[in-house]
Amino acid sequence: MVDVVNVGVNLDAFSHAISGIQALRSSVSRVFESLKDGMKNRETLEGREKQFISEFQDNLQAVNRDLNELERLSGLVGRPSESHPLHNSGLLSLDPVQDKTPLYSQLLQAYKWSNKLQYHAGLATSLLNQQSLKRSANQMGASAKRRPKVQPSTLVLPPQYVDDVISRIGRMFPDMTIELFRPNGTSAVLLVTLGKVLKGIVVMRSLFIDRTIVRGFNENVYSEDGKLDIWTKSQYQVFQKVTDHATTALLHYQLPQMPDVVVRSFMTWLRSYIKIFQSPCQRCGRFLQDGLPPTWRDFRTLEAFHDTCRM
Amino acid sequence: MDNFSPGSIQPKAKKTFGGKTSMGVTCVCQVPVAEGKSVQQTVDTLHKKLEQLGAVKQGSFWVDCETYHPTGNVSGQPSKLLYVMHNSETPLSCIALFEGGPCLIADTNFDVLMVKLKSHFQNAKAHKVECRGSRYRYCDFLIKVGTVTMSSSARGISVEVEYCPCVVPGDCWNLTKEFMQSFLGPSVPELPSVFAAKPEGLFAPSDCVDTMTQYLELFNKLRKMQIPGSNVR
Repeated sequence: MVDVVNVGVNLDAFSHAISGIQALRSSVSRVFESLKDGMKNRETLEGREKQFISEFQDNLQAVNRDLNELERLSGLVGRPSESHPLHNSGLLSLDPVQDKTPLYSQLLQAYKWSNKLQYHAGLATSLLNQQSLKRSANQMGASAKRRPKVQPSTLVLPPQYVDDVISRIGRMFPDMTIELFRPNGTSAVLLVTLGKVLKGIVVMRSLFIDRTIVRGFNENVYSEDGKLDIWTKSQYQVFQKVTDHATTALLHYQLPQMPDVVVRSFMTWLRSYIKIFQSPCQRCGRFLQDGLPPTWRDFRTLEAFHDTCRM
Repeated sequence: MDNFSPGSIQPKAKKTFGGKTSMGVTCVCQVPVAEGKSVQQTVDTLHKKLEQLGAVKQGSFWVDCETYHPTGNVSGQPSKLLYVMHNSETPLSCIALFEGGPCLIADTNFDVLMVKLKSHFQNAKAHKVECRGSRYRYCDFLIKVGTVTMSSSARGISVEVEYCPCVVPGDCWNLTKEFMQSFLGPSVPELPSVFAAKPEGLFAPSDCVDTMTQYLELFNKLRKMQIPGSNVR
């Protein structure tokens, strides 16, 4: 640990200066002692006074000498470096008990870490901006300055229209039932029950699918206060995997101008899970891989693959 | 790997009283004792195979079955025996059933009730069968390997495999069979008759009564078997 404070100090002159201070202190106390003692016994009054004055003068001169010596030495000692690159935090490094309170080292590490984080975040932003994962029809960036900000029509749809589309899709498949709830404002939350296999909760934002979570048929969909539980993960690994795949699917099926086609494709894809426990993997032919049945469904052909077997 | 859910703390999936998670599809089968080995050694071999597969031991389990003879038989027909069974998976319940007949799920006070009904049902204490062993978890499977004992002599080995996410036996039978073959060897376990015998056949949801019926069949089979000569210690 570099001790930034002591760089400009001459340690030798420092110790001389300290002894100079001690000498000055002793000569000053000698002055006051001789004053306290008063005049010493001599034969004549004149003799006594002369003795006293000469002693007093000697003591004062000694004080003067020591003071000059001290001033000279203090000139040699130099000033502590005034440029603290770390300002107040550098003073933390003066704490001698490094084992119990490693504040300074932790502070440096935290600072380096946050610098690295900022750098990586900058890199990530530039990379992510190249991929357009835009799920709304909003134009962002430079074109937003050129034309006035127009709310895309597909993002603000009347709830009645959303209800109609969902009920139409629900009637498409006999083994899939879709119930629509609106627990928080105008966003619809769908409870999709697929045969006796699984129950999926799909959170929508007007007609766009925002998030989905899939749980087993025998798991509880409602939380303790009677509302739909949209956060708890499934307790079965197979359905945790299906939830991850469903999230991938809702990012894959995208068509900002025709959201009802998107919802229809997503539901068709989800429906292929009705035979999740019955279908073997199309690639390896087995039912189980690491204890999991084939959980991946190809987006175009809806064939079943194990997560590790998919192309 | 936990997904961050903004604005809420994710509670662990817990079994609440109101909406309890029901059992998955269970298959109980008997494992023959290996040639020249004792019951305990065969059980240890099974445990080793399961651990090699990657299963994690999660405690132990027990299943027991008591037999009651109904007294006061009016018509000279052989009276049907009443079986009262308990399972450590449902420690607060017990199941009373007639073989192939109606069954009842009650809480543990039913045992006390049976004591009070001594005049109508006699407890055949010598016929009490117990199955105890370890419980393993592998991915979504629950595997229980147990030693079946009757009056403290080991009669055989039972293996119960439950595939928890599925409730319809017809869907996951092939999957379960493949899993069982991976640690029980090439001997093919057959489809439990209790599934085929239901009114809807293989597509009715299964529940704990099916599991206990399978255990009862296994216990009765082992009870009728003579004690194998030198294989049992």
